[in-house]
Formats: sequence, C-alpha cells, structure tokens
Amino acid sequence: MEEIVFGIGITALAGALATVAGAAEDTESDIGSQGDPNSQVQLAPQMGYIHRIFNKAVAGEPPAYGLWVALGAGLAWAFMAMQINPILAIVLGSALAVFVQGVYATTAYLGRTASLAKFGQPVYIDILKSMTTVTMAHAFVAIFTTVAMCHLMISALGHPFPLPLLGLVWGIALGAAGSATGNPFYGKERQYQEQKFGAGVPISASGNIVRYAEAGQRNSLDNGFFSAKLGGPASGICFGLIVFFELWRTVVFEELNIWGPIIVGIIVILVFAIIDRYIEVWARKTFGPYTAPEEASS
Amino acid sequence: MSVKIEVGAGGIPHNQILIYGLVGSLVLIYLTYLNTITGTQYFAFFGGLAAVVALLWGTDTIKHLCSYGLGTGVPSAGMIALGSGVVGALFGATTGILAPIVAIIVAAIIGAVAGLMANNVVRMDIPVMIVSLIELAIVGAMTVLGLAAMACGTFEFLGMITGTVVILGFAVQTYEASVIGGSIIAVIFMLGAIAIQHSFNACLGPGEQQDRTLMLAAECGFLSMIPVAIISFAFIAFLPALVALLVSVIGWIYTYVQYIALSKRDAYAWLDAKPILEPKGGA
Repeated sequence: MEEIVFGIGITALAGALATVAGAAEDTESDIGSQGDPNSQVQLAPQMGYIHRIFNKAVAGEPPAYGLWVALGAGLAWAFMAMQINPILAIVLGSALAVFVQGVYATTAYLGRTASLAKFGQPVYIDILKSMTTVTMAHAFVAIFTTVAMCHLMISALGHPFPLPLLGLVWGIALGAAGSATGNPFYGKERQYQEQKFGAGVPISASGNIVRYAEAGQRNSLDNGFFSAKLGGPASGICFGLIVFFELWRTVVFEELNIWGPIIVGIIVILVFAIIDRYIEVWARKTFGPYTAPEEASS
Repeated sequence: MSVKIEVGAGGIPHNQILIYGLVGSLVLIYLTYLNTITGTQYFAFFGGLAAVVALLWGTDTIKHLCSYGLGTGVPSAGMIALGSGVVGALFGATTGILAPIVAIIVAAIIGAVAGLMANNVVRMDIPVMIVSLIELAIVGAMTVLGLAAMACGTFEFLGMITGTVVILGFAVQTYEASVIGGSIIAVIFMLGAIAIQHSFNACLGPGEQQDRTLMLAAECGFLSMIPVAIISFAFIAFLPALVALLVSVIGWIYTYVQYIALSKRDAYAWLDAKPILEPKGGA
C-alpha cells in the first residue's frame, strides 16, 4: 500500500512537471512560428506581405523536441555516468541541448529569409537577437522539466528504459501535444485575425497574417505573450494529463493484474473520446456555422 | 506529384558530391581504426568528420529528391534516412574491420526496398526515389557509425556494448554504461536525423544557393559533433575526448561564421531594428 501511495505521489509530481513542460513548449514554438503556423509565415512575403515575425523552421515540433529532449537526456546520462550529481547533470544537459536548439533556430531563420530575397523580405537581425534568447529560455524550461520527469520515472518508479531513450519517447510526445493543442489557438485566434471571425482562410487570403499591432508593428514576442495566456496552458494540461494517466494506470493497477493497466488505458481512451465528441457537438450547436450578421434594426 | 519546388540551379553536380561523400566518409571512418592499431583513442574524432562529410552528401541528395514537390516531406526524408541507416550501421558493426563496408551494403539494400515500396506500392512515382533512398540510407548508416565511433572510440560492436563503471575503486565492465546499452545511439539517431534534413529545410525557396545550403550542412554536422564529443567523456579518456571537443568547436565556429556571411550575401537586406519595408505598389 505504501508503495502505491509513493507511486501516486511521484505520478502527481511527474504530471506537474509535464504541465510546465507543455506550457513552455507551446509558447516556445509559437514565438518561433514552428509547426503549422509556419506555412503562413513562410508564405506571407511571397504574397507581398513583408513581416517581422520569427520564422524558425527546424522540423515539425515532434521530431525537433524528440532531439532537444533526447539530447538533454543523453548529456545528463553521460554526466551522471561521470559521477556528477543528477540535478546538476540534468541542468547541464538541458543547457547544452538549449545551445543546440538556439543555433538551429538562428540558422533556420537566416536560411529561410535569405532564400526569400526575391520577394523583398529583409533579414531583421534584431529579431534574431531578441527572440532567439526568449525561445531558448522557454525551451530550457520544457527540456529541463521533461528530462527531470524521465529521471523520476527511472529512479523512483523503476522504469526499465535508459534515460536517453525515455527522453526521445517523451520528447516526441511533448512536441506532438504542443503541436496538436496549442498551435490552433495561436493560428486561428491570433495569426489569421485579418479575416472576419468565422470566415476561414480562403486561398486568396493566404499569407495575409497579422503584421501590425494595436500600436506599431507586431513581432513574435507579442505572439508569445498571447500563447502564454491560452495555447500554452492548454498544451500543458494536455501533456500533463497524458503523463499523469499513463503513470497512474500502471502504478495503481499493475498490482492487481498484469493486464490491469492495459484495460484501464483502453477505458481512459474511450472516456476521453466520449468527452471530446460531446464537446464538439456542443460547440457546433452553440456557435453554429458562420452566418451573415443580421442588419441592425431600430 | 510533379510540382517542382524551386531550388537554385548550378553549383557542383550531384554525382560529384556523391563520390566525394561516399569515398570521404569511408576513408575518414577507417581512420578511427588507427585507435585499435596504435592502442590510443586520439583518432576518435575522425568518426565525427566522417559524419560531416556524409551529411554534406545527404543534404544534396535531399535537395535532389525534394525538388519533386516534397515541401513538408523534407524532415521525413531525414527520418527515413537515419531509420534505414541505423539498422545497416548496427548490422555492419558486428563484422569487425569490415564494418563500414558491410554497413554501406546493408543500408543500400534497405534503402532500395524502401524506395521500391514508395514507388511501386505507395505509388509515389518519383523518378529519383529509389536511387535517393539508397543514397540516404547509406548516408544515415555512415552518420550513425561515425558518431558512434566518435563517442566510444571504435566502430566495432563489442566496443559499443561494453562500458566501464567504477564501483568502489574497481573498474567493472557493464552493458548498461555503453553506447548502445545507455541508448546514446538514440541521441545519435536524432542528431543525425535533424542535421541531415535541416540544411535544405532551412534554405529552401527561390533564392536557394548550393554553397549556402552545403555550408549549413557542414555547420549542422559540426554542431552535432559537439554534444557527441561531450558524451564521449563518459566513454573514452579525458585528453582524446578534449581533442574531439576542440575539433568540433573550431569546425562549428568556422562554418557558422561562414554561413552567416553567405546568408548576408544572399539576403535582400540586412537590417537592425528597422520597420517593415512595404513592397512598392503595396501589398
């Protein structure tokens, strides 16, 4: 019994770390316009909309985070093998992984922007200076929390995988959670607001992203501010729940039967599918398809 | 699927890069065998240089393949390259001194099967698909084998599955503390997979220039060498690992500075804290 209580405590802690990781990951990728917002940012100059948005296309978020977290975990593993204290090893490993992330971000922005010279998109070097550091800071939080979570799974819950492999698996999961949950918030609620609400993005409006702010010109730091408010926490809850349920079912039900966690996992998926379906139907009924606004009478 | 995405024309022909890449990486990877011959570990960094040469070749192959309208397929090409390559590399590693050659042959077979599946089963019908996937699988195998040899000082399987742990002052050989047992091979896999696709993915567009893309490929290679050199401190002696770290850092700084200079050359304008330049005639 005591073992299960201890396991649930670790599960809760891992879930909390994962929530922080998800929030930081989504904010980081939105500041860099990584993932699906990237297509419009990349397209904008070709349609004549010159912008000051950071365009850091390293890869999709899942492979990119697969690398950052696996790298952080691998370096932490190596430092631990050199008899360095685990906390310090994880901090050093994450810091070095963030260095790699920052270098990839700068080369991606320079490469993409230089290749758009034909359309008159200049390289704004101040974007690199001010935004790379902000993405690196968020990436550090995401990598550190995820690697720490993986280390907890191994040292406290006795997970059989080595740290770098667990880092790779959870890094890809982290990127996927942020990409699937957070990006729609940023894309639809922030980037395409040049269009009327509910109008969608017709082909003719492709690349017409929001480039000017309430005062002055918008850059990716404003997008980070927006993401930190909505998309980031949503991604955090998503990734936190994934990690929590994944560990919870194993910790609690493995004692009963070896098949217990698998059956509980299927039940959890079914419950979430029903909840998702309910929310979707509710949202369609409540907000409905786009209709022309009624003329103001009186 | 015959929409061409624009890439820069001219530059060094692909076949020339192919030959340099294949021969160069093979020679460099065999230079790590000097470790076994001389009984030291100072030649481990040649494995990383082999990976850099292989990545240069792989980048040009991806450019060649992805010019057939595979915009979002660029990162996937990197994944399939390293995915096929890691199997070839690990199989090859079990054959002792023949490891790099066997790795190339096995990777070529896996790449050919993947290419035939893509063209004939999935029906992508891209003319260069089979050849490109064979090339990419070989590049992946050389990258994995090179970086793994850099981490543990040898490309032989036994060296990759044994590590040393010091317990109470005694050095004990274990599987858990090795390149494969500790899953460092997973880190190498991801380092290679992102590095091979990043250069073309970052530089694609109508203003793409071969020298800039290839310089970025070399930069990615040296950048991947840096963490592997740091990890190698856990496997090989201090001084050889330090030599590897110095080689990677110097190579990275040189290529990074060169890449920034080339980007400055190709950019429309290089502005610091300036407002949006609206194009003439308005958007």
